[in-house]
Amino acid sequence: MSSLALMRWLESTPERYDVGMNILTLGRARRIHRAVADAAVSVHGTHVLEIGCGTGSLTAKLVARGARVVALDQNPEMLAIAKTRLVDAQNLRWLEQTAAEVDQFEPGEFDAVVASFAFSELSRLERHHVLKSARECIRAGGLLVIADEVRPSGVFARITFAFMRVPQALLGWFWVGSVSRPIPNLVEEITGAGFRIHHEQRFLFGTLVVIVAQPNP
Amino acid sequence: MSLLRNVMQTGFRLFPWSTEPGLRAIGQPDSSSPVLVTGNYDFTVRSVIRALKGMDAWLVVAPSSGINIWCAAAGGHFSTHQVVSALKTSGIEDRVTHRRAILPQLAATGVEAREVSRRCGWKVRFGPVDAVDIPRYLARGAKKDDAMRRVRFGTRERLEMAAAWATPTAIVVGGVGAFAFSEFALPIVIWAVVLAITMFQFYDRLPEPRRTLFTLLATAVAALVVLCIHGGPSTWAAAFLSTWFLSGVLTFDYSGSTPIEGGSHFAEREWRISLDRDRCQGVFSCWEVCPEACFEKQSEPRKAILAHDDRCVRCGACVVQCPMDALAFESTDGQRIAPETIRRYKLNLLGKRTVQS
Repeated sequence: MSSLALMRWLESTPERYDVGMNILTLGRARRIHRAVADAAVSVHGTHVLEIGCGTGSLTAKLVARGARVVALDQNPEMLAIAKTRLVDAQNLRWLEQTAAEVDQFEPGEFDAVVASFAFSELSRLERHHVLKSARECIRAGGLLVIADEVRPSGVFARITFAFMRVPQALLGWFWVGSVSRPIPNLVEEITGAGFRIHHEQRFLFGTLVVIVAQPNP
Repeated sequence: MSLLRNVMQTGFRLFPWSTEPGLRAIGQPDSSSPVLVTGNYDFTVRSVIRALKGMDAWLVVAPSSGINIWCAAAGGHFSTHQVVSALKTSGIEDRVTHRRAILPQLAATGVEAREVSRRCGWKVRFGPVDAVDIPRYLARGAKKDDAMRRVRFGTRERLEMAAAWATPTAIVVGGVGAFAFSEFALPIVIWAVVLAITMFQFYDRLPEPRRTLFTLLATAVAALVVLCIHGGPSTWAAAFLSTWFLSGVLTFDYSGSTPIEGGSHFAEREWRISLDRDRCQGVFSCWEVCPEACFEKQSEPRKAILAHDDRCVRCGACVVQCPMDALAFESTDGQRIAPETIRRYKLNLLGKRTVQS
């Protein structure tokens, strides 16, 4: 169950999104959010931009660690749920926009830019634009932390992955008419946009990954 | 190869078929060539490219989850966000010096022209409904005539929808038939195709109650055929069961897949467009985007008139685009859904969005 082919379906009913995501990732979503938040927020007051915050489960973890967060998502229904979840949070700004609009921020405005399961929803061109823009708005020495579904390396893992994916992809396709796609070369895309990989952590047979990167000096 | 793709995409029209979003150069476009935007439904992209043959233009393919423009726009998959994203990320901004984009008219249900302009500086105009009209539209100086504004549902479109419904239905009934009564599988598949074609050509021309009438007629035809071939009990069973199943599937609230009846859900039929004459300033964006030509222009005073609301399919495009917020949905019992809700919750009051308002 590594694939997140049903993500779009879950998104269409945001209430079950969090529960569903956790089931689909066999409990990894929660762990991954913890890993992202731990990596991104080192000190109280860290300024974080979250791309594609969805229902705000990662946002909540960032805020809990004392970060000042700008969270954006293009889905108003998901944002509405996120807002009710974090109604009392300070130092938190919500933006209803697309990921492509991250080019609006000031150079070096953020200590960290994070995205959890948002990049696989974007086209290759969109990812490129977002990474380039993130490169600009992360301060020198800041961090880019991305969690997403990737294609595993290794022949055995790939075959297993393909078998597990087929039924899920079909379900997703019939239900919502779209299927999330694991990103084939996420590491290359990140380094190609002017980052160097600090470290990466794999989950669930290498199908889910948390990548921590830094802008090249 | 292209023919095979056309056949597949006609038969499986109800399913998404995506192509990579991004920029396509058509002919030898330069920095002043027109910029057209469409969704990433493969069939649509290829149709637009075919329609533009011999012209020089840029085509920006925005991500619409592999779904056709009208469905994607009404279901929130092709909205202001996707258009802004495509204009920003496709690289078109480096290729042209102007900032004018032409969108398919049917995108007006989902894409708010003023928002696109505010968020990325592109001026959006809604072009013709059908891609084949684009060359004529451009030749007329980006102006539509009446025919370009209306959704066509003639014999050809009806046959396409019949194919789109007959293919999956025939696969299902043929599959079940092959197990239950194997000798009837082929006749049932043929029957599915015949019923689908008949349904889409004539259903809206039948008097009410259409559904019952259609099912009765189909049953009568099936009975006649079985009588003629002197069929036994199993033939009768197969004929009736398949006829009732097919009639049920084909006539079940098919609106939404055709522009004949308004609203995809029963509850939506209760809502009507209301026009606030005091707010209307005669901008006529409603007249420009309505796919059923429900509006007419009045010159003294300059106002829109909702002259043909019996044709309204409740796509909400007029509500979304009106800069004066003069249009809204109203129900017979006096409830009102404000334009802001329609714009925000994309768009045609799908499912629980009706409840939320």
